[in-house]
Amino acid sequence: MCSNCGFPSAPGHWTDAGAPPGTDRVRARHRRAAVLGRVLPAWGLTVTDDTFIPGLTVSTRTGMHRMVADLGEFWTAAEDLSGRRIDPLDPDFLRRGR
Amino acid sequence: MTRDDGRIRLTLVGGFLGSGKSTWVRHQLHEGRFSGALVIVNEAAEAPVDNVLLAGAARMELLAGGCACCTGREAMVALLRDVCDRRTRPGGDAEPVEEILLETSGLADPGPIVEAIGSDPVLVHHVVLRETVVAVDGVDGLRQVAGEPLWRRQAQAADRFVVTKVDRADPEELRRLVATLASVSPGVPVEGVVMGSPAPLPDAGGAEPMPLADGGLDDRAILATRLTIDERTDWVTFAVWLSALLHARGDDVLRVKGVIRTPAGRLLLQSVRRVVQNPEILPEGFEAGATEDDTVAFIGRGFTEEDLRRSLDLFAEPR
Repeated sequence: MCSNCGFPSAPGHWTDAGAPPGTDRVRARHRRAAVLGRVLPAWGLTVTDDTFIPGLTVSTRTGMHRMVADLGEFWTAAEDLSGRRIDPLDPDFLRRGR
Repeated sequence: MTRDDGRIRLTLVGGFLGSGKSTWVRHQLHEGRFSGALVIVNEAAEAPVDNVLLAGAARMELLAGGCACCTGREAMVALLRDVCDRRTRPGGDAEPVEEILLETSGLADPGPIVEAIGSDPVLVHHVVLRETVVAVDGVDGLRQVAGEPLWRRQAQAADRFVVTKVDRADPEELRRLVATLASVSPGVPVEGVVMGSPAPLPDAGGAEPMPLADGGLDDRAILATRLTIDERTDWVTFAVWLSALLHARGDDVLRVKGVIRTPAGRLLLQSVRRVVQNPEILPEGFEAGATEDDTVAFIGRGFTEEDLRRSLDLFAEPR
């Protein structure tokens, strides 16, 4: 938890379980931002995680943004910002070529 | 069986009223399984009956007057918190509880119980669900399938079915019951018992599953599939993808279960609907059922194996 802002308030989303604390955790956060960065443009969004402060930030192309504690809150915030339902099984998403 | 993370192992025993839950539990205790476990019996009715049957348990608590999934939920959470508290406090229990067997009431849906534990800020760190065993009445099961929507919710939460009263059941009906279980929860093991002792079940091959009571539930076919996690898909990729999938499709993805190799160790991952249990780190060599590492089972509806694969592939690093 950040000792200044108390964020995030609840310890440990399940997705954080795969990396032990320390450098692996920082590496995992960079990886997480990279994975999100690959798919979010499909919904007009980008993500940033500087790994110095807890949480990650999701933004629209026009600069609206929201900071969330973990992936548990992330998708709801991302849907709010994009105004669309984010479904990884959405046929339009699945049709995207590489 | 040593555990790495020190959480209390919880086994849930569910099943419809009179399906033989207590008889099965009593036999397990008699056989020496769950020795030392705290047995918690939940009674929907005020009058405790089952606890008399279960006098063989080393330690036992009764939750009477409401199902742990709804009206008795707060009482269950309070009891479990108290168990955790006594276990961790200096000068608490002389023999701390390491294992809990929770027999739900016959009217309880195991899903919300798992959710209550997973969403409680204390219990989530102290209790880990080991298995949900669902007892199915061998004699009366088919009628419950047709008439009780609750039966289906119980069946969908199962990690293992125990079909009871096999000796008194009609063999044709039993075959049909086993076929029905396979259609509701594909891939979940089914065992037969008589008074808690193992008994052979007839082969269900070719038997027609019973149409289910829907009660507002979804009628689309339920699919069981397995995804293999290849080297392009590390834990982070998989976790990001699964969090998005459960956010969007949590009502359709009924169960996810598998063991994944990560930098932190082998993670046992399991979800019931939207709730993902805080993953447990398994010791090397510890077998979690029949699943191989880096293979994850999905049970649900409204998607195909190809969709899952394609979607996960789009999250993974380009080839």
